[in-house]
Amino acid sequence: MASGTESGVTERRGIPGAAFVQDVQSYLNHSGLDLNSALAFLQERLQQYRVVEMKLLAQQRDLQEKIPDIEKCLDIVATLQAKKGSGEALIADFEVSEGIYSRARIEESDSVCLWLGANVMLEYSCEEATTLLKKNLENAKASLEVLVADLQFLRDQVTITQVTIARVYNWDVHQRKFRQAASPKES
Amino acid sequence: MQQAGTSGSEMEVTWEDQQNINKFGRLNNRLHELHDEIKVAKETCENLEDASNELILTDEEIVRFQIGEVFAHVPKDEVEERIENMKEETSKNLEKLEEEKESVVAQMAELKKILYGKFKDSINLEED
Repeated sequence: MASGTESGVTERRGIPGAAFVQDVQSYLNHSGLDLNSALAFLQERLQQYRVVEMKLLAQQRDLQEKIPDIEKCLDIVATLQAKKGSGEALIADFEVSEGIYSRARIEESDSVCLWLGANVMLEYSCEEATTLLKKNLENAKASLEVLVADLQFLRDQVTITQVTIARVYNWDVHQRKFRQAASPKES
Repeated sequence: MQQAGTSGSEMEVTWEDQQNINKFGRLNNRLHELHDEIKVAKETCENLEDASNELILTDEEIVRFQIGEVFAHVPKDEVEERIENMKEETSKNLEKLEEEKESVVAQMAELKKILYGKFKDSINLEED
């Protein structure tokens, strides 16, 4: 992380970084903004960050649901494979409709069908299915990690912006007090 | 949610201070997530305990055990073994989460000391 007056990364995957303000006076001079415009700009930035945060949180929830689903699929394929040598069929009760269950007899088989989405289902051998599901699981977990890092970066920028808003505001309050004290009272 | 709010007189905020504040925010978020995760892990532990108790009481030889979305007919011994494994995995996970929570709480206490030390009343690090 570079040190100096403007520290931190400038942006990450489309999320603009919040510039750290070393000194409020020079920040206002440098940007050429008066107090209200500066505050308005910072508030707008904060809003934009919130919007992106909502989007990322939704993506995170989706991934967090997807991962256990893939793990369940792996479980079933493993169970079917384990049953293969035994010569017995697997008997399972499954949900036909809400509240209604029926019994199924799953004979030994070397293959399973995987739902790939978009109304497509493909038949795979048990080994291929396991490989594919494991790869999907890894991808999902990796995506989740990246997403979590993005959220952390975003929240840091939100915190920096909030602190900057408070400091700019305080600086203004301080300036006003200063000016009031310096100017002579008119009688 | 805890907010690092600064109010009051003009105060120097260095990049290091900002990084401390950011870190505190991150830790606080992680703490909330950990609370939820620990709650879920404890519930799972309880459910597994109940399941294994039920298993001891039943006199059926074949038990319907949920695998994925279906209930497979599995011999009682195998179910016992599976539940034992699941219980161990869940309690290991719970232990890991509790450890992480302790570490997070300790780090947050450290940061509170540093930040309150420098900013005193100008900063608020408490839960609303």
